[in-house]
This record gives sequence, C-alpha cells and structure tokens, in this order.
Amino acid sequence: MILEPIVPTILSVRRLPNADAALLTAYGADPSRHAALGLVTCDQDDALYVALDEATKHAPVDVVFARSFYAGAAHASGRLSGEILGVLAAAEPQAIDDGLAAVERCLAHDACFYDADGKRTVTVFPHVVGAVGHYLAREAGIAVGEPLAYLVAPPLEFTIALDAALKAADVRAVKITPPPTETNFACAWLTGDLDACQAAAEAFAAAVVDVAARPR
Amino acid sequence: MSLTRALMAKLRDQLAGAEAMPPPPPMPAIEAPPSRVFPTRRAQDRRTQQHTTALLGIGHVGTRYATDVVLQFQAELAVAHEAVAAELPEGWAEQHGLIPVRSRVADHREFLLRPDLGRRLDDASVARLRERALQDVDVQIILADGLSAVACEGAGLALVEAMEQACLARGLRVGARVGARFARVWLEDEIGQLTNAKVAAILLGERPGLGTGDGLSAYLVYGPKVGNTDGDRNMMSNIHARGMPPADAGVRLAALAAAMIAQRTSGVTLDLAKVDAPIERGYRAPQVRQRLVERP
Repeated sequence: MILEPIVPTILSVRRLPNADAALLTAYGADPSRHAALGLVTCDQDDALYVALDEATKHAPVDVVFARSFYAGAAHASGRLSGEILGVLAAAEPQAIDDGLAAVERCLAHDACFYDADGKRTVTVFPHVVGAVGHYLAREAGIAVGEPLAYLVAPPLEFTIALDAALKAADVRAVKITPPPTETNFACAWLTGDLDACQAAAEAFAAAVVDVAARPR
Repeated sequence: MSLTRALMAKLRDQLAGAEAMPPPPPMPAIEAPPSRVFPTRRAQDRRTQQHTTALLGIGHVGTRYATDVVLQFQAELAVAHEAVAAELPEGWAEQHGLIPVRSRVADHREFLLRPDLGRRLDDASVARLRERALQDVDVQIILADGLSAVACEGAGLALVEAMEQACLARGLRVGARVGARFARVWLEDEIGQLTNAKVAAILLGERPGLGTGDGLSAYLVYGPKVGNTDGDRNMMSNIHARGMPPADAGVRLAALAAAMIAQRTSGVTLDLAKVDAPIERGYRAPQVRQRLVERP
C-alpha cells in the first residue's frame, strides 16, 4: 500500500562500557568526558540519525559518530552492517543503556521510510522532528528544541518534491545535500514552525508518490 | 502514534480516497490440467475386467475421464439409442416362417410410451392365432421385438431354432412359431392362453445397455393366462454372443420349460435346484469391450 511504513531493522547493538582512549579519540569522543560507547547498526540510515538525536533528548549522551555506508543496505559489507553505524558516547554505561533504549523505541515506533509506489521500489523519508536534540541542532545549525523537517528521497523524486515542500509552507532550508550521497539518496533539512514543517513534509511525500506513479 | 506516522496515515487515506478503486487482488495461479492419463493400477481391476465389459478401471486425467473413454461411452450410448429406436420391419415374421401377431399399439412411439397396450393382442392377431396356431401344446415359443428389434433380427431365429430342437429332443410338443411385433413380455400370457399351451416362452430384445444393443431375454411362464404377474415368470437375460450364446441358451430354456411342466409351476415357486441344467460352464474367454471409436 502506498505510504505504508517500512519499519527499520536494528541489525546489531553492542556496548563498550570502558573503551580504550585511542578508540574514543578515533571516533571523535573526548576521553576526558567519555568512557562508555554504544554502537548500533541499522538498515535505514536516516531513521537512525533521527533515533540517535532522540537518544540525546533522553540521556546524557553525545552522538560522536554517525556515518552512512556507501551504496546502502543492499550492498552492505556484512550481514550486520546495514547502511549506517551510529556511536553514542557517555561518561557512564547507564547513560548508554538509556540512550540505546531511546534509539530502539524511536526506530520501532517513529522514524522510518515509507513506501512511495506500493512495491517498495521507490521509498521516501518525510520525517518531522517536533523538537531537535543537540545532535541534529548542531548538525543543522539551529537551536535545540526547534522543529525540523527531515526529507529524503531518490534524486529526481527528491528534487521535484523538495520544490513542492518549499512552496507548500513558510519553511527555510537549512541544509540541502544533493545527490550522490553515500547511499545515493538526496536529503534536505527544513525548519520553520511545527505546522509549516508538517505541511512541508506532507507536500514532499505527496510529490514523491506522484512522481513514482508518473515518472514521465 | 508518532507525529510523522500520524501525518503519513492521514496522507495515505487522502491518496487512497482519490483512487476510484483499490487495485484488484492478484489472481491465484491456476494449475494446468495434467496432460497424461493416469491408468488405474489396482490389479483387482485388471482381473475384474476379464470377466465383464462394464466400465471399470478406466483411469483418469486429472478429475476427468480420458477422451477416448468419453468418446467410447458416447458411441455406446448412441448404439443403445439406435437399438431402442429400431423397428422390426413390416412383414418380417411372415418372411421367416412365423405366425405374425402384433399388440394393440398403433406405432413405435406409442409402443414406447404405453406398456399396457403392448401387453395385449389386437383383434386381427387373435383371429389369426385361432386359425393357424397349434392347440394344446407343451411349449409355445414366441419371438418378439421387445425393446431391441436389432437383437430380434440378429440372434432371434437362431435362439428359436435352438430352443425348439432342445424341446423336441426332450419329447415336448412345441407349438407353431409366433412372431410378435411391438410386444411386451406379458403378451406371452394372451398368446399362450389362446393356444392352450402349458408353458409360454417369449424371446425378445432386451432393454439396451451400454455396448449391448443386441441382447435377447427369454421369459417363461407356466399356465399362461392374462393376469399372471412377474412373480409367475422365470427369465434368462444377456443371450448374445458375448454373454450366453443362443445355442447354449436354447438348451437351458428347454430344461427350464421341462422343469416347469414337471413341477406344474413357474416363477418364485419353481424349485430351480431340480432343473437339470445340462451345460457345464467351463472356460470363458476374457471379456473384451468392443471398441467403437479409435483411440485418439
């Protein structure tokens, strides 16, 4: 069915309660503030970015590392790799546990791609974050707690749909990542008030569905 | 529900509402029928087939009969229909030395529809019998068309000859041969009554079945008179080349008639154990269903 949620799968979740300082440094953590790491892989990169940001709202954790893998989950380096590795860092292992619980909850019930053509050959990620945590706030260059429309689609669909989203509501593009990205999708972050972000996401999803139905 | 999930659910309902009809569900794949015939493998069927021409162990194609079985069935049914529809030609009895009589029916259609009229002689036949038939005989033999004129024309005269010879050999007095047209079994009662015979025997074409349009039956009654019932009769069926050959049947019928005269009764009260059946049933060739259509 069109716009049916495609629930992401967490492929692996492991913890390092007391990671080596060299490892902490390599992944961008600060050994003076961080000791424990939480590592998670998932088959939907954008869903995990949102979920990692969600974790920062529920526990004193920092997202020190989150990178998509080249060409996406269909071309992963292994069964557990998926298309992203996310790393949470914290001073206490308990904070890692709380953060990972928030990640799993968000992936199961909130952030996900949606089927845009009924056959899952075109997918869209028209996500609205009601209030960003400090990870996405830092990445997007906006204040913590502001709403964010996190819009992802394949290249051409993305271009048509982003134009529709920008015209649908009073929103401002804070970051547009044109193709090719690591996973060959294209991405845009829009901000504005919450209603405007929702209207933009809705227009974005509807436009992707339209392009998927009438590609030419 | 999360913010985005709720948003997309609303949009999904809007988009679905815009469509006139949901897409049809996928059709289930229909299996092609098997292309080959699955013969029956039970040894019992093969053994049984040697003793009957009935439709046994004919195999199947999926849930259907094989085509050649269906064609054979239709051909045999056509043979049966044709035998029922056949009429004994006018004047056939005279040409073959029989006293011609006929029942009260006007034509063949009425014969099929009115069994009651087929059981009584018309007035001309009664007069002819009184004039020409031998009186006070032991056995009155009647050849009739019955429901299969084909059978009557085929083996009828041979059966009459065989039975007559066998009766004469037993010293029985045999009446003049009578040939009846449009006759039912009970016609023998009136004929036997008119000739004052001890035993009346009517030999007539039997109701055709699949593959047997040429079978004769014989019905014998002691003390023939109008009003006898089927309980007063003894009968022998399937007198044809693939069943009981007419030559054997004649001998057996004569034995049956002799037993009736000896016991002075017939039908259910006749003691069949005392019938001296003279024929030993020995080896019987395997039954082969005559093929009316070639195998495709």
